[in-house]
Amino acid sequence: MLANMKRALEGIVVCDFSWVGAGPITTNVLGQCGAEIIKIESTKRPDILRKGGPFKDGVAEGLERSGYFANRNPNKKCISLNMSHPKARDVAIRLIKKSDIIINNFRVGQMEKWNLGWEDVKEMNPRIIYVTMSLQGITGPHKAYMGYGVNLNALCGLTERAGMPGENPFGTGTNYTDHVMVPGHTLFGIMAALLQREQTGEGQTVAVSQLESAISMKPTDAMAYAGSGEILGPLGYGDPDAAPHGVYTTLGYRKWIAIGVFNEDEWFSLKKVMGNPEWAEDEKFSTFASRKENEAELNANIEAWTRDKYSDWLMKELLQNGVKAGVVNDSRSAIEDDHMRERGFWSYLDHPVVGSALYNRAPIMFSKTPIEMRTAAPLLGEHTKEVLTGLLEYSEEEIEQLTAEDVLT
Amino acid sequence: MGNDGKSLSDVRVIDFTGELGPYAGKMYAGLGADVIHIEPVTGNPLRNIGPFYEGIQDRERGLQFLYYNGGKRGMALDIRQEKARDIFLRLCSTADLLLESFAPGYLDSLGLSYDILSAVNPKLVQTSITPFGQFGPYADYPGCDLTCSALGGFLFLAGIDNDKPVRACDNQAYRMADAYAAVGSSIALLFAKKTGIGQFVDVSAMEATGMALENAAQYWDLEGKNRRGRGKEAGSASVHPCKDGFIAIVAIMGKNKVMWDPFVKWMQDEGVEGCEVFDDPRWIEPSYRLSAEGYETFCRVFEGFTMQNEKLALYERGQAHRVAISPVSNGKDLLENPQLKHSNFWQTIHHDNLNGEVTYPGAPYTFGNLEWRFGNPAPTLGQHSAEILRELGYEEDEINTFAKEGIIYVG
Repeated sequence: MLANMKRALEGIVVCDFSWVGAGPITTNVLGQCGAEIIKIESTKRPDILRKGGPFKDGVAEGLERSGYFANRNPNKKCISLNMSHPKARDVAIRLIKKSDIIINNFRVGQMEKWNLGWEDVKEMNPRIIYVTMSLQGITGPHKAYMGYGVNLNALCGLTERAGMPGENPFGTGTNYTDHVMVPGHTLFGIMAALLQREQTGEGQTVAVSQLESAISMKPTDAMAYAGSGEILGPLGYGDPDAAPHGVYTTLGYRKWIAIGVFNEDEWFSLKKVMGNPEWAEDEKFSTFASRKENEAELNANIEAWTRDKYSDWLMKELLQNGVKAGVVNDSRSAIEDDHMRERGFWSYLDHPVVGSALYNRAPIMFSKTPIEMRTAAPLLGEHTKEVLTGLLEYSEEEIEQLTAEDVLT
Repeated sequence: MGNDGKSLSDVRVIDFTGELGPYAGKMYAGLGADVIHIEPVTGNPLRNIGPFYEGIQDRERGLQFLYYNGGKRGMALDIRQEKARDIFLRLCSTADLLLESFAPGYLDSLGLSYDILSAVNPKLVQTSITPFGQFGPYADYPGCDLTCSALGGFLFLAGIDNDKPVRACDNQAYRMADAYAAVGSSIALLFAKKTGIGQFVDVSAMEATGMALENAAQYWDLEGKNRRGRGKEAGSASVHPCKDGFIAIVAIMGKNKVMWDPFVKWMQDEGVEGCEVFDDPRWIEPSYRLSAEGYETFCRVFEGFTMQNEKLALYERGQAHRVAISPVSNGKDLLENPQLKHSNFWQTIHHDNLNGEVTYPGAPYTFGNLEWRFGNPAPTLGQHSAEILRELGYEEDEINTFAKEGIIYVG
């Protein structure tokens, strides 16, 4: 229905040196909103996520079968450019001159080594937004520390409270900060810089600290300690302001239902759906405070009720009665969920090696501009010739020459 | 607010969100936009959520309210009343962005649909942040952070094998929606700035969690597997107890021996008892690390060492050996973190009404020209109601009447 609409970021060009996680997720969102993303890779230095599972049919051969890589890179054009060759810089400069945004998530100093640091790039294109992402800043005692998603989750405080009381902390089970905090702030930072450019006509740097952006979205533990000396403990699946609030076993393999009751009306409705059992009328459960005090027994009683029922049927009945409830969907169920399907969250795109494969759009829907995935993730170097002859205006002869010199590999 | 050249001070945001949505407006306030938080005259429900400053429950002391609404001005308005709607419309005519988290259809039922707001101000962007979005089979159902995380497929990942999943702190399904609402709004704002055309932006918390499934959806699609979290592979994204808490370590991934060698060297340099078992090629095989024998052996030897040491020491000594180890930080660790101290990350803001200082997280990013700032303390209930009405051109006697009739609350 939006096929003829202008895209929100039409005309924005991104010179994308980023790889693996947060960087490609950032440019993915820009691309879905209509920006032209030129992803720079090389057979000598492919995006290492191309070697990360899952792989089509579990076959880990080559660089084109990874679903991990694919889902972060739809819509993008990929040029293969061997940056270790001295002539590659000239190609990069042509792209930089045409770009609105240049982004990388290399270790500090890599772009400068290629003489493509901010000081150089702003001379080439004073309107460009220059985006960097460090783990925890570029100065200070821990500036050179290493860390993967799991480390950053732990360091920023996400892991500590995501566990059952008395057990080791667990966390989200994913490299969470890479997917949410870091791309979220990077995207907003880029857009703020573009908005300001509308006034000033000038580009600028945007430097995201992964640690600091993560903490900004989970402020409570440190604030509580500073504000009252309290160390907040593990949450399990509970919530300090709700009871019952938890994850309850239902019929099926690894099937649970999540239920949250935040006020007396909701508790009344839950009791009704449960058929007003005698135990629920006990004084132990008559107020929020008493339910909280007897939460373990409360949860056991609710689970005794849920465990011989289907989670999806339960959910429907609870929701229709005004109780907040949701099946704990595994990936398959989330993919097959009617709500997600009707909202067009999932798309299947055709890829020359993998065939039809699943992608998700960004969780934003605009009434007047499309958000769309038009092409699957690019093959390594798939668009080298197209981008060089088109956007970068190289002649056929020049491209032959660069190819012969091993610049475009 | 003057344009100091370092802020988005020409952007005005009306933030009519509650427990879901407030970080979106804070992202704008952090870059100097004029963000006006509207709340019911009875107060934003977020004010009642703990923890509280000095542990004392009070509507002006909720630390989450104070953080998420820092840098905003505040107005208390009973939107259900006819005269309040006129005020709201007048406010919308001056704004670039309206953020709200009402149930789908609620504003329409008050005669404040996007079409009506847009007629007043065609360049207005309205972003609605709700559990399930504006349409789809669940749109009219109630939701909370836990059920959004559950339905989106995100919660399932936070566990291994048959364990029940656990939840992350600070309502992350809501925070994801907040962040993408800020982003979607900014994209629509740029478009509006260029074309003069505003639009409606629909953000669902359930959907936002679907953005954080890592590779799990593709595991089903390409390999027919429903994956969960990691944590039982020795030395590869595992968490271990230490003297004063826990640490997380990624000493190896896949078959990457180059990563493992520095770990072995570290253990040897520390003279860890039994560490000779680590100097063996079988640790390079993921299957061994995943076996009960591998995991238990790793825990026995490594934890024999970690239990004698504190997390900060383990962090600094391991990192000095190029081992990807980090503390599992709690609130105290974060406040005392040397790197965060170095960057002056924590912001201490004096609150006159609390007669004390509240400590907040600081800048998530730095810019060449824009400048992040915390801004003023979050508004007390109705603190700027009168000031904002004056700016909209209302006379003092009108303002007094509104206050008397309960249309606004003047703090």
